[in-house]
Amino acid sequence: MKDQQTVLEIIEKTQARRTERRAFMRAAAGATAMVGGLSLLAACGNDDDDTPTPTPTPTPTPTATSASVDVQVLNFALQLEYLEAQFYSYAAFGVGLPAASLTGIGNAGSVQTGTGAGFPRAVDFSGDPVIGQYAREIAYDEIAHVNFLRTALGSAAAAQPAINISGDTAGAFTAAARAAGVVGATATFDPYSSPNNFLLGAYIFEDVGVTAYKGASPLITNATFLEAAAGILAAEAYHAGLVRTIIYNRGITMASLITSAQQISDARDSLDGTSDLDQGVGGTNIGVLATGVSNIVPTDNNAIAFSRTPQQVLNIVYLNRASVTSGGFFPAGVNGSFTASGAN
Amino acid sequence: MHVGPIKGFQGMTDSELLIETMDKRVQRRDERREFFKAAFGVGAFAVGGAAALSFSAKADAQTALTDADILNFALNLEYLEAQFYAYAANGTGLTAAQQTGTGTQGAVQIGTGATQARRVAFTDAAVAAYAREIAADEIAHVNFLRTALGTAAVAAPAINIAGGAGSAFAAAATAAGIAGGSTFDPYSSDDAFLLGAFIFEDVGVTAYKGASPLIQSKVFLEAAAGILAVEAYHAAIVRTTLYARGVATPALRTNADAISNARDTLDGTSDLDQGISPLTRTGATTLESNIVPLDGNGIAFSRTPGQVLNIVYLNRAAVTMGGFFPAGVNGTLRASAAN
Repeated sequence: MKDQQTVLEIIEKTQARRTERRAFMRAAAGATAMVGGLSLLAACGNDDDDTPTPTPTPTPTPTATSASVDVQVLNFALQLEYLEAQFYSYAAFGVGLPAASLTGIGNAGSVQTGTGAGFPRAVDFSGDPVIGQYAREIAYDEIAHVNFLRTALGSAAAAQPAINISGDTAGAFTAAARAAGVVGATATFDPYSSPNNFLLGAYIFEDVGVTAYKGASPLITNATFLEAAAGILAAEAYHAGLVRTIIYNRGITMASLITSAQQISDARDSLDGTSDLDQGVGGTNIGVLATGVSNIVPTDNNAIAFSRTPQQVLNIVYLNRASVTSGGFFPAGVNGSFTASGAN
Repeated sequence: MHVGPIKGFQGMTDSELLIETMDKRVQRRDERREFFKAAFGVGAFAVGGAAALSFSAKADAQTALTDADILNFALNLEYLEAQFYAYAANGTGLTAAQQTGTGTQGAVQIGTGATQARRVAFTDAAVAAYAREIAADEIAHVNFLRTALGTAAVAAPAINIAGGAGSAFAAAATAAGIAGGSTFDPYSSDDAFLLGAFIFEDVGVTAYKGASPLIQSKVFLEAAAGILAVEAYHAAIVRTTLYARGVATPALRTNADAISNARDTLDGTSDLDQGISPLTRTGATTLESNIVPLDGNGIAFSRTPGQVLNIVYLNRAAVTMGGFFPAGVNGTLRASAAN
């Protein structure tokens, strides 16, 4: 028997593999609550079959097509990239994205700005120049992601919605930090006030982007978009790895950083439902040369990164574990098809 | 958003539906053929005997690559990474039971004497902690892929992770032009370990990304995306740490740059790699780091299996073995590209 056929048989036909797949599928579907009819469409959509495959009619979204699924997913990603790009751009350069990079379908909004402490502004990295170099690199990357997605989507691109990246008393960063216990219930958290606060502010977002892109990966039908999304996923994981590595390294002598990161992870985990999809950086035996094990990479037991559904991602950026359509970093909600957070 | 049952399939869960879809799906022939050509067409693939026969049979079948082919290719790379990190962090490698499978099983060549593969005598608690974490992750990847592949899993091929003269690590360091490269021993210090790790890390990211559009099963695709993410986190740990330590030890940055350039030379003419040294963007006045190797769109690079094999075989020609894999890798994808 030909090698290929042998392998194919093993993969496609044996009962053992099938059983294993079922178990795996249940785990995957259970963890990500895959989008039923849409995911089935996604699975069918790319088959270069010689004969047309009857397409099951999905309900209750009979008009959904593979193309629109991709548009929906990429536009959702674009909403997150607007948020990240604006935060890093202000922190690194003191200005946000140009107006021409923010137009599109839906309700256009702006970044809430002001003057003085708490409002978006350039972080003073003069005493910590290496962190400033990281901030500029990440800012350029996130701006590139916005531009890439807008170009890929063309006229279908969704506009930037209203964004709150403030660290004043009414700022979303303050709300996030209070919810996590990083600061007291009436204190403020200003991510622009110091390099270390900037790192914690970045930490709030970074792993979320990774889980969002991973969770969306099986929904994308177009192979070109899929590979591009995988490349953005990689970039987000590099960013997250960068931020987490610095927090761990500094945390060996400044334990509060590792504690704060753990609190932020716990808060995200509380917002996104009962499944454990988040981890801090501390690992075990922090700073012990002979036995310490870091936890830079948040993974399951198979050393595979976690997935979040769009709804779970929105729970985090809306800072609300209930099913709502706005809040937190997006005071008027996001634009596109995925607008409601999950009911957790 | 959860959509209800699909007409005609009432009573089945979404998971079952998806499984049915995968089980019954006709192969994506055109796309597979295209990759088949990309993976094999570029090289002369001048091997005789059984391999040639096997290749011919596959061409007749016109089925090109299966998910098992791709996952097995990844498994070869994970064997390499797991063995290196396990020795560096723990002083021991994978167990015998973690290395069995189809194809030709080989031994891990750890070398002899002072420069053999061994536990690094770390002096920086953070670097030691990173090494232990990454080792555990890579071992988990081996176990995961072996479980996913079941009886189709390939055996671990011969792997050379020795340090010192004559080793694959020394050959890589020599190819990069690093000072003292001919005796490079990645187990000799924290910094040497980081540079040894740097040789592999970004390659795994580009390999998984390049394979992502070829994976047919949505379940495997998402798992592969999750492993890709983990490899990118690892690469960031290594690159960030080299960059930060490079403030005091500039050679760490320039050596990483040299390794990146060597990889870029091995894998062909396209620019698929970047070092870590800081740069000033056109129009900017301040330095930025280069922790993340990306194209102009902020997207990570892809490598084909052939390009990945160029790097781990340490050979820009189309060959089937060399470097870290002295007897080649196991599985369908085993020839490097002709560059």
